[in-house]
Amino acid sequence: MKKSTKNFINLVLLALLFVAVWLIERFAGASSMLVTVLKKGAIYAVIAVSMNLLNGFTGLFSLGQAGFMLVGAYTYAVLTIPVAKRVAVYQMYAGGAIHFQLPWIVGILLAGVMAALLAALIGLPVLRLKSDYLAIATLGFAEIIRAIIQYEKLGPITNGSLLLKTYPTFSSVLFPFAAAAICIGIIVLLINSTYGRAFKAIRDDEIAAEAMGINLFRHKQMAFVISSFFAGVGGALLAMYQGTLQANAFKSAMTYEILLIVVIGGMGSVTGSVLASFLFITASEWWLRFLDSEQFIGSFQVPLLRSGFRMVVFSIVIMVVVLFFRKGIMGDREFDIEGIAKWCRRRFGKGGAKA
Amino acid sequence: MFEKFFPYLLAGVSVGGQYALIAVGYTMVYGILRLINFAHGDIFTAAGFFMVYIAATMPLYIAVPLVIILTVLLGFTVERVAYKPLRTAPRMSIMISAIGVSYLLQNLMWYITGGLAKQYPVLPWIGDTITLGNTSTKVVTIVTPILTIALVVALVMLIQRTKIGMAMRAVSKDFETAQLMGIKINSVISTTFIIGSFLAAVGSMLYFSNYATVTPTIGAMPGLKAFVAAVFGGIGSVPGAVIGAFIIGIAENIIKALGYTTFSDAFTFALLIVILLVKPTGLFGEKISEKV
Amino acid sequence: MSENVLHVENITMQFGGVVAINNLSMEINKGEIVALIGPNGAGKTTAFNCITGVYEPTNGLVSFNGEVIVRNHPSGKMKKLYAGENADKYPEKPVSLTPDRITHLGIARTFQNIRLFKSQTVFDNVLIAKHLRRTSNVFTATFRLNMKEEKRMRAETLELLKIVGLEGVKDELATSLPYGQQRRLEIARALATQPTLLLLDEPAAGMNPQETEELGEFIKEIKDRFNLTVFLIEHHMNLVMGISDRIYVIDFGKQIAEGTPAEIQDNPAVIAAYLGVDEEEGVQ
Repeated sequence: MKKSTKNFINLVLLALLFVAVWLIERFAGASSMLVTVLKKGAIYAVIAVSMNLLNGFTGLFSLGQAGFMLVGAYTYAVLTIPVAKRVAVYQMYAGGAIHFQLPWIVGILLAGVMAALLAALIGLPVLRLKSDYLAIATLGFAEIIRAIIQYEKLGPITNGSLLLKTYPTFSSVLFPFAAAAICIGIIVLLINSTYGRAFKAIRDDEIAAEAMGINLFRHKQMAFVISSFFAGVGGALLAMYQGTLQANAFKSAMTYEILLIVVIGGMGSVTGSVLASFLFITASEWWLRFLDSEQFIGSFQVPLLRSGFRMVVFSIVIMVVVLFFRKGIMGDREFDIEGIAKWCRRRFGKGGAKA
Repeated sequence: MFEKFFPYLLAGVSVGGQYALIAVGYTMVYGILRLINFAHGDIFTAAGFFMVYIAATMPLYIAVPLVIILTVLLGFTVERVAYKPLRTAPRMSIMISAIGVSYLLQNLMWYITGGLAKQYPVLPWIGDTITLGNTSTKVVTIVTPILTIALVVALVMLIQRTKIGMAMRAVSKDFETAQLMGIKINSVISTTFIIGSFLAAVGSMLYFSNYATVTPTIGAMPGLKAFVAAVFGGIGSVPGAVIGAFIIGIAENIIKALGYTTFSDAFTFALLIVILLVKPTGLFGEKISEKV
Repeated sequence: MSENVLHVENITMQFGGVVAINNLSMEINKGEIVALIGPNGAGKTTAFNCITGVYEPTNGLVSFNGEVIVRNHPSGKMKKLYAGENADKYPEKPVSLTPDRITHLGIARTFQNIRLFKSQTVFDNVLIAKHLRRTSNVFTATFRLNMKEEKRMRAETLELLKIVGLEGVKDELATSLPYGQQRRLEIARALATQPTLLLLDEPAAGMNPQETEELGEFIKEIKDRFNLTVFLIEHHMNLVMGISDRIYVIDFGKQIAEGTPAEIQDNPAVIAAYLGVDEEEGVQ
């Protein structure tokens, strides 16, 4: 298959996906469970892919994702709340210190930029650390960011530990899908560029990569900043999805969840992360919901089912994946037309077309 | 001045002792497996819940040893089920598994308790209130540092003087070579987890006697702080972890005394980052370099 | 006299109390093939690591084409511990370029314990090394505004693979290749950084006599083709004697001999070092 044909087919598949999503929204209803799950899944896909860029493709075990999402979400919300509504939101802080409103698109971009700037700053010290120290240091920074945002003296800007609301949100499922397609598309282009190859080289063997002339620090910094940019954008999208925003929700548990999504999808597979995001969100928010309420088969009450059981089952499934299917759904392969063709060839002998 | 700070200092020493008991578990596991055992804080929480449920039906002289046994069993099982199968896997996989276990334990505890905070039973004597000068405090505040130091001295003796202690030191120096020398690696690792869980169980009794309620995620923060203490003291070093824990406990309470409660958690992590940059090996750690 | 490429002066590398390299000096001139030999643990790879910036030597100086790339003198704790010579000879500010900077200047290397990019194909392993001479930035590369350069990189990579004879396996995973081919791939990858000096760390390790002989021819061939200077560590004496212009012999981190292959073969100190005889006995 020629490269241009391949790209063309992949684009067609993407377009078909959009049509399908649009039809779902038309016929299933905008407030149906399916649509809700699709919205959140698309946003998580952006966040998971951004984390995969760092953990899966560059080999940097960072656990700061929730912190960068938090910065993005707050940047967006703080800058886009309509001026007229600020008095109601910043009740405790006399309407807050900011008296302008930016358009949503600018807000989203600035969300990414702020997260990226912060990453550049944090990266200076932290990226010189080795694997697990990096993990714990980034986790620590995320906690510090959360503490600072909730600091009451910053209340005129962040509203302290109180809710932010009435900032612009979206209604159609097409919005998060379009945003996700753009963000993930850019990350894919990056991964397949000469810089992406350098990232993968660093992941495979730092010493060899450096001996081949790759400046370790600069490339790690680059991956860290870009990943954080998209985490910030993802945070802004999540804030839009939720409608209200509170720093308290962005704990390390959120980072762990995203990490587990990346692992389930396969470290080093973009499509894996995307699939796993939808799977994770759908399973936890929808399919496994029934586990949380008492169920009867006839007059027999199914044992164990009550609030919280869903998450137990869910975490056991995750542990099974982590222990026994360490490569996740996709390993480091991709689910695209070429991947499907390869899989068919392996599955059905040599009958398939030759690439 | 002293009047104002004394209660905070006292609380700091006490909390420091409790962190120390958790930190030992982190530092020993890291020393041997090079693994940040993210689940350790949750094992500590589980010990708290064990006590809540057992003390409700049984007298304390049974409940206390039973809680310790159950916690040790939990720690042992976690290692066997979630870490042992990944012995040859990349380090990142084991760390992810540890995060997975932490997630599972938290969700499990949430399910069992219904997500509600549980009242921790008042243990006799250590739950009593005493007055020191103008400060009234619980006996546990005074008992904690003493008990902590006694336990840690006993542990250091164990590591320095006994055969299993020697095996532990050998494994933490060089995993492969120790294995080749005929050291039963798995039993050494299990012992490490048993000791760590035992100390976490004792620590949880002291900690919750002070804080009175247990929630499913309560162990996460003290867990992370104890880890920072272990890094601060030089990961792998037991006395280092203890000293680090006391310093963090005291510093954190002084920050509270100064009126910056919001930043008492952030301080711990700021300290961690400074340590990692200035002296990554901590106060008493050893340097490990990679062969090219 | 031909022009000097690599100048190593009084290098001492001390790890704690252990002196791995002791006051080592070497000269390598343009167009030469020079070998560094010595018994196991003599400090050969450590010497390479000092030259390429992986280690920072405790004392001494290295310059490449006249430019100082490494310079250090014992300081801090090492000041007291230092057991080598010439401690006061390099009081200037230390110079310690990172390995990527040194590669940029034109020194490329291979590794004793093969270090290929495991998850990448043969082709990508070489292509990654082309990243060094890029002109695009991350923005232009991501948005494919550098197609011309990308095409050139790919063409040059293919050309290199043809030269080393790995064109047929270009889409295989690098680690799935047999040992000898992996070593060739490492050389191809090093060549992709467009070096003028090539350091080979035991390129023939694990090869049979036939492969070793081919390797010797191959090294000479690429040397001429790319106008290289070659500096290699090797244990296969046939290879070393067959292709080297000059040889340095070190033992316990110290130079014990230097000369043409013929001179080295007859040198009693070398024979003693290799046969493990007491030095004095060896001389008699």
